[in-house]
Amino acid sequence: MKNKVLMGLAAIAMVAVLSGCGKKPQVEIDATNAAIEAAKTAEAAVYVPAEFAAVQDSMNAINADIAARESKLFKQFGPVKVKLTETLTLANQVAANAAVKKAEVKKEVETLMTEVKAVIEENTALMKKAPKGKEGAAVLEQMKTEMATIEASVVEAQGMYDKGAFMDALNKVKAAKERAVGINTELKDAIAKVKGKAKPAAAPKKK
Amino acid sequence: MRKVWRDVLVFAAIAVSIPLVIILLIRFTPLPPVSEMEYARETLSKAGKNRADTYSKKLFTQAKIYYDSAMVNWQKENKKFIYFRDYNKVAMFAELSAKKASQAAENSLSSTSNLKIKLKQKIDSLNDLVSENNELFTTYPLSSEIRNRISKGKMLLSEAEIAYKKGQYLQANRKITDSEYLLTASYESVTANLKNYFKSYSVWNNWVNKTIKESKKNRDYSIIIDKFSRKCFVYLSGTKKYEFEVELGKNWVGDKRVKGDKATPEGMYKITKKFEGRKTKYYKALLLDYPNDEDKEKFKSEIARGSLPASAKIGDLIEIHGNGGKGIDWTEGCVALTDKEMDVVFKIVKVGTPVTIVGSMVDLQYVVNR
Repeated sequence: MKNKVLMGLAAIAMVAVLSGCGKKPQVEIDATNAAIEAAKTAEAAVYVPAEFAAVQDSMNAINADIAARESKLFKQFGPVKVKLTETLTLANQVAANAAVKKAEVKKEVETLMTEVKAVIEENTALMKKAPKGKEGAAVLEQMKTEMATIEASVVEAQGMYDKGAFMDALNKVKAAKERAVGINTELKDAIAKVKGKAKPAAAPKKK
Repeated sequence: MRKVWRDVLVFAAIAVSIPLVIILLIRFTPLPPVSEMEYARETLSKAGKNRADTYSKKLFTQAKIYYDSAMVNWQKENKKFIYFRDYNKVAMFAELSAKKASQAAENSLSSTSNLKIKLKQKIDSLNDLVSENNELFTTYPLSSEIRNRISKGKMLLSEAEIAYKKGQYLQANRKITDSEYLLTASYESVTANLKNYFKSYSVWNNWVNKTIKESKKNRDYSIIIDKFSRKCFVYLSGTKKYEFEVELGKNWVGDKRVKGDKATPEGMYKITKKFEGRKTKYYKALLLDYPNDEDKEKFKSEIARGSLPASAKIGDLIEIHGNGGKGIDWTEGCVALTDKEMDVVFKIVKVGTPVTIVGSMVDLQYVVNR
């Protein structure tokens, strides 16, 4: 009788061991989710969007895999643990890449900011030398307004930079530089034209 | 011996029943929709790569919600006893998610392509608008508000072009919309003013013809000032002899209405006095008979109508004078020539020489097309 009971218990224990041999790797899941969250905080979605989407996709696949394994009678989470470790490494890499890209964009904004300020300064000096005859002064008036807009745009870009929105600041400062360089070229052309024409004032046109 | 046989039988029964139970357990366990979920996830991922999260946001969000619902239901079912699980809802949500994600991906592709074309057209047309109007309004006295709006519009257009080049079409679209609003509204407002101004063209044309005829008839000099082209034409016996650049009052668009409005009057005038030396601070000057009877009548009727305050005073001392060549409209309403050109004019005209000031000698269509 005693033997029968023991054998029955052994059978039940075998089934229990077989069905419950795998436990959901919650620690690894939490660690990977935390790494993804850290990548998100590092603005990976802004600076390395494709890489970040790949990490998210990888985690979605893992979640689906876990759910599939949980549906089984005999759960085995060994392969999932491997995938989680890989995704965690990937998420950390993505966070690091985002930080690098962010630093690059920040540096680019700083460089552009310095460049645009230099062009603005040069333009201000050139305006004093620009020809005022004929339509010159009216054009200069328009240029002055445009320079004011450019300066306002640079201030706006600086505000974005201060808030850490480097990507937005980059677009703004790029546009500001483009316009400032446009004005610079116009001014230099106008001055060069006048220099080329430098000769005594023409007598009134007789028709 | 019997006991041994009985134990062997029990052991055999257990040995057979365990795999049997396992086989039965596996055979009748409800299967989760793994492939459906995988397909949904892959479709969602593809939609994401097509930037459906940006360009087909609604469908993409729906697809994500269905996918999340499928996952939640799957996890919920997994918690039930194995034989009571039902994955039908999970499969349904997975299917819906895949369908919406697929639609989102397609929609995103087509939206992006359409938006890209639309943006390119808008950028090109706005650049054309800016360049056309730049030429037309180079010397037009735009208000500082309009100048600012045009300038901001141009800046936004540059920002839109940068966003467009980076493939940030939604951002480019927002910038283009703002730029278009600022530029078109500003140019429309200026063009409307200009059209309104040119309503007087037929009157100006009459004055010009009369002045040229008079010059021909009297075999004498006549002066015509074209404000829009900022030109002073000197006619002799009906033929154009000289053409000079002029500078006007800051608010040269429109007729002079009141003293101090910095507008250059429009009308048919005559030279009443010639000043030079210490008699003028503008090198040499030709005083006109402004206000003439017509100007006085107009002024009175404006006062009567209430469009001018009763305390308003009519302007006077409108001259053609020297000290010009500044390249900007700076006078109080007079017409300025360079001193050198003033010498030429001063020498050939006399008291009584007709001076006709018009908004333009050519019609608006011509002005716009040139």
